[in-house]
Order: sequence, then structure tokens, then C-alpha cells
Amino acid sequence: MKLTLSRRSLIGVAMAGLVLGAVEARAQNEEIVLGGSIPLTGVFAFAGVGIHAGIQDYLKIVNDAGGIKGRPVRYVAEDTGYKVDASVAAFNKITSQNKVSLYYGDSTGFAKTINPELERKGTMIMAGASFASELNDPKRYPLQFLPGPDYTEMFGILMRYIAKEKPGASVAFVYSDTEFGRDPIAPSEKLATELGLKVAEKIVTPPGSVDVSTEVLKLRRARPDFTIFHGYVLAPIPEFIQQAKQMGMQSRFMGTFWSMDNSMVQQMGEVADGFMGVMPYRYYYDKEGTSPMLDKIRQMRPEYQSTAYMQGFLTAMLMTEAVKRTLDAGKELTGPNMKASLNTIENFDTGGIIGVPVSIPGNSVPVGRIYRFDAKQKQMLPASDWIQLGK
Amino acid sequence: MDWLYLAEVALAGLGAGALYALTGVAFVLIYKATRVVNLAIGEILMIGGYVFFGLVAGAGLSVWAAIPLTILAGAVLGVLVERTLIRPMLGESPISVFMVTIGLGSILAGIVELVWGADPLRLPEFIPNTPIFLGEAYLAPKVAYGALVAALLIAGAVVALRFSRGGVALRATARDQGAAYSMGIDVGRVFSLSWMAACATAAGAGVIVGAIGGISPTMGIFGLSVLVVVIVGGLDSMAGALVGGLLIGLVEALAGSFLGGEFKLLATFSLLIIILMIRPYGIFGSHEIERL
Repeated sequence: MKLTLSRRSLIGVAMAGLVLGAVEARAQNEEIVLGGSIPLTGVFAFAGVGIHAGIQDYLKIVNDAGGIKGRPVRYVAEDTGYKVDASVAAFNKITSQNKVSLYYGDSTGFAKTINPELERKGTMIMAGASFASELNDPKRYPLQFLPGPDYTEMFGILMRYIAKEKPGASVAFVYSDTEFGRDPIAPSEKLATELGLKVAEKIVTPPGSVDVSTEVLKLRRARPDFTIFHGYVLAPIPEFIQQAKQMGMQSRFMGTFWSMDNSMVQQMGEVADGFMGVMPYRYYYDKEGTSPMLDKIRQMRPEYQSTAYMQGFLTAMLMTEAVKRTLDAGKELTGPNMKASLNTIENFDTGGIIGVPVSIPGNSVPVGRIYRFDAKQKQMLPASDWIQLGK
Repeated sequence: MDWLYLAEVALAGLGAGALYALTGVAFVLIYKATRVVNLAIGEILMIGGYVFFGLVAGAGLSVWAAIPLTILAGAVLGVLVERTLIRPMLGESPISVFMVTIGLGSILAGIVELVWGADPLRLPEFIPNTPIFLGEAYLAPKVAYGALVAALLIAGAVVALRFSRGGVALRATARDQGAAYSMGIDVGRVFSLSWMAACATAAGAGVIVGAIGGISPTMGIFGLSVLVVVIVGGLDSMAGALVGGLLIGLVEALAGSFLGGEFKLLATFSLLIIILMIRPYGIFGSHEIERL
């Protein structure tokens, strides 16, 4: 057979090749967008500012190293004031102007509101500032994940520690009358019974309450060995502990993630000594062992960075890892593909942000450690080994 | 029945109620003289807390120098707000003035966030910390001293209102603006004076409330409970603010202890509805109050 190739068709083939090559090159260099509804003002701004910086810093590290398989990651954030309607507006704005693959949401309310839209789009995965137990359900929230244990798992970690320290101990739950506060209470009561602990009292405080004297009186009557606070950042925890100590109570006081930031605990003053709680990440100043990521953070920012910063940093790390794994597998960057890649994360080294290798079998990273505040060093220091649930 | 527990709960409730009463007095002062419902009272209280924090932690002043300066700052803020925001609204509908105070609240919260950031902060400890026992009943020292100071300030306000020249002018203006004006009372100055006294009182209350519960840009919510207090007591009645404050404090404490914390607000607002049904003008309020 004689192959004939006219000059015109030769040019046509060459042009097509060029265009295809250009498309390919563009796909390779096409940026990946991480959008964010970030609470830079409003009641949650103390965390939002840290989260914002953490995400930016991790993406800078990724981009300085050449991006993900040559593709840079761009961060597009809007302030929400921690209001669900503003968060949704920010989401709509950011996703309509950019091809977003990753998204950071600021609240449980937003995560729940946007979920149907997230599923409908099917183009991105999302995580955020919420550790709500409800979100830890891959069936109902297939494209979301939590960059740490959910609130019930945090209680689980605390109570496993208590059961080991003092078998049969009595515990009291003090929580705010908000969705955030009520989240882990019912399942944790059940878990307490399973662990042989006694729930001596459950005390709920109205949101924004200033004076907690009556609640402390109630706590004194229950005389718990351990008191777990949840649903607060700072107030009214210090006043609670102070009054309880004045009444001669011997209870040990504990908190969950959002009340565990070192600078926040320092503000409690003298009552901070001995305050304990669960923390999924290591603190900025923790120099134990090798931790290249913590070293890098300390290099980039010489001053203390909050636990919210670590949360944002780790979220960006897990998200970009999911993207990398999806691209490595030669798959398209869709929400389901990225989530499936995220779930392949097993014994993953976070560079020291979490002290043990982590896995994401479902929607959460069920690991944490108990820290206790040392008034002399003015730091939260480890009080237990890393506790991994389900292991 | 555990009587000791009941006594402790009641004491704690009355202590918290005294702070409500003090802030309620600030609210009533303005309403009485100018007929303005000042919804920014919670934020003015917050400014008091932050100014105190700034003077002690920022400028390094001693606590005892900072307290009078904070109250002074509250007074200056009151005059400024009255002259720049409220006076130009004279003659406008009450709803417009009401909205101006809501806006003022947002502005103050925004300023605090800009200057001090959004993190919750703790005021330096200055209230004596030794536990107080009345008989066998425990009373949290901060609440006890807070209530004591609140009682002194309220007493001061009542005495000033009854006997001082400014107080008499304020009462006269409250009774009948036209008559007061024709008798040579400078009604404009009385308006300024009432805002000055109210904001100074609120700033003082902010120092006490902040010392107990810490300060944050959201502590203006406290003003919402105070609104209930003054509606229950009567918007234009000093005695009403006092009784309403103590009553709401007590009801909150009893509901919180015997029903559970989730019933606190429920009990408070149920009481509000009942009072409004029986006495729409509040327990001690004047009948002619114009409702919005």
C-alpha cells in the first residue's frame, strides 16, 4: 500500500499535535484551587486568623517545592464573620469564579447547609473548623472529612485516659447549650458506662453566660473526680475552676480541642495549673523527636502559632495529599476520586504535626493525646501517649 | 430539701442580679430622661471592660487608677454619642433612634475587634479572692464583691438623682420636658448628662462583669438579659431596674439549679411574658410609656 500524505494534511496533523500538546501542558500547569469560607472576624475570629495562616503556610511549602505534580495550588478565601449565610455566599462566589477542588468551611452549620450542593457539584472535597460528630458519617457526608477526631471521639480519648488513670472514676460534663456544646454528650454518656465510669452530673450553661456560681454549686454537690468542659473557648472555664477550687473541690478539669490553645490556657491565670485536655496536634513549641514540619513552621514564623494554625496547616496537608494521590493514580480530580484517595491514607507521616502516623479510614482522624498545663513552664505538656481509637 | 444549697443558689442569684440591676440603672437613666431605648448598653459595658484592660495591661496603670479613668472614659463616650448620634435624631421617630443605637452597638463591637482583636481576654485579678461564707453558705468572692460595688453605685445613683441639681433637672425633664424647659432647665444639657451618667455606670459595670467572666467582643450579649430586666421592672423606673435585676438573677439561678441550665432563658422569658400580660408597662413602669 502506498501511503500518500499531502502537504496540507501534514500541516493539519502538525497543528493538531501542537494544540493537543498545549492542552496537555495546560492541564499539567493548571492550578488547583483551595477555596475557603474563613471566619476572620466575628466570634470565631481567634481561630479563623490562625487557620488562614496555617493554610497559607502549608500551600507556600507545597508551591515552593514545585506544586503538586507541577501544578500550583492557589488559596482563595473570603471572610464570613462566622455566619452561615455569609459562608454560603462566599462559597458561591469562590466556586463560580474559580475551578475549586478543595474547600475549607468555617462551621458545622455551613458544613450541613452546603452538603447537598457539594454532592451535586461532585467536583471538590471539603473539611473545616467543625469537629461535629454528625459530620463523621461517610454515607451522609461523602465528600467531607474532619482533620482530627470528632467531638465524641475527643470525649472517647479523654475517658479512656480517665478509665486507665482511675478505674471507676466519676465524671461530670459541663457544656454550653449550643449545637457545639451538646454534640458529644449523649453518646459519651453511653461510652462512660461501657468504660466503667460514672457520669455524676451533666451541667449545661446558656450561651454567653457570665456568672456560673450556681452551676459550680451544682458541680460541688456531684463531687466528680474529673470534670470535662465542652463547647467553650475560654469563659466561663477559668471562673468555674476558680470557684470550684475555692470550695475545696479536688476534681481534675479537662477540655476539648477549641479550649486547648496554649495562649488561651495561659490566660486562665493561676487556675490553669493542671488543666488537661485532648489535643490531636502537637504544640508549636514541642521539640520532642524529629518533626520536619514543625521545624519548618518555626522557621517561617518565629513567634508562637495557635492550635487553630496547626488545624489549618494539617487540613491543607491532607487535602493536597488527596489531590496528589488522585493525580498519581491518573484519575480525574473529582470529589469522589479525591475522597477515595484520602481514604487510602494509611500510616501517613504528617511531619510531626501529629505525633504518630495517621490513617483516615472514614471521615475523621481518630487520634489524640492528653496534655496538661504546667504553670512553671507556662506550657501544655504531654500527659499521656498518643491514643488511637479503634486500635 | 437541702436548705443550705437553696440558700447558696439564692445568694449566687442575687449576686448576679445586682450586676443586672446596675446595668439596668444605666439603661433606665437614658430612657427616663430622653425616651431613647438604648440597645447598645451591652456594648458600652463591653467598652468599659476593654478600656480598663487597655489601661491596666497596655498602659501599665494600677487597678485603682484605672477604675476611675474607665468610668471617666465611659462618661466621655456617653457625651460624644449623645452629641454626635442621638442629638441630631431629636424629633425623629423612636424606631429610627432605636436603630441608631443598634448600629452604635455594631460599631463599638467592631472597634473593639480592630483595636484588641477577637480573642477572648481575661482582666487582671483585682477582686479579693478569699472565699466568703455567710454562715455555712458559700458565696463566690467575685460575685459578692461585684454585688457590693454594684449596690454602692446604685445607691450613689439614686442619691444623686434625688438630691443633686443635675438629678433634679433630670427628673423634671423626665416628668415634663416642656415644663422643665420653661422653668429654665437646659434640656439639652440634661440629655447629655443622662447619657454621660448612664455610660459611666455601664463602663463601671463592664469592669465588674469583665472581672467575673472575662472580656470578648461578644460580651455585649449581656445587654440582652438587661433588656429583659428593665422591661420587667419598667423602662423608666430605677426601683424597677433594681427589683427586676434581683428577680431575674434569682429566677435564673433557681431555674438553672433545679431544672437545668437549658431552662434558664426559658424561665426568664416566660417571666417576661407573664409580667407583660399582667402589667404591660413593667412592675414599676409609668403607664404612659410609648411602646414600639
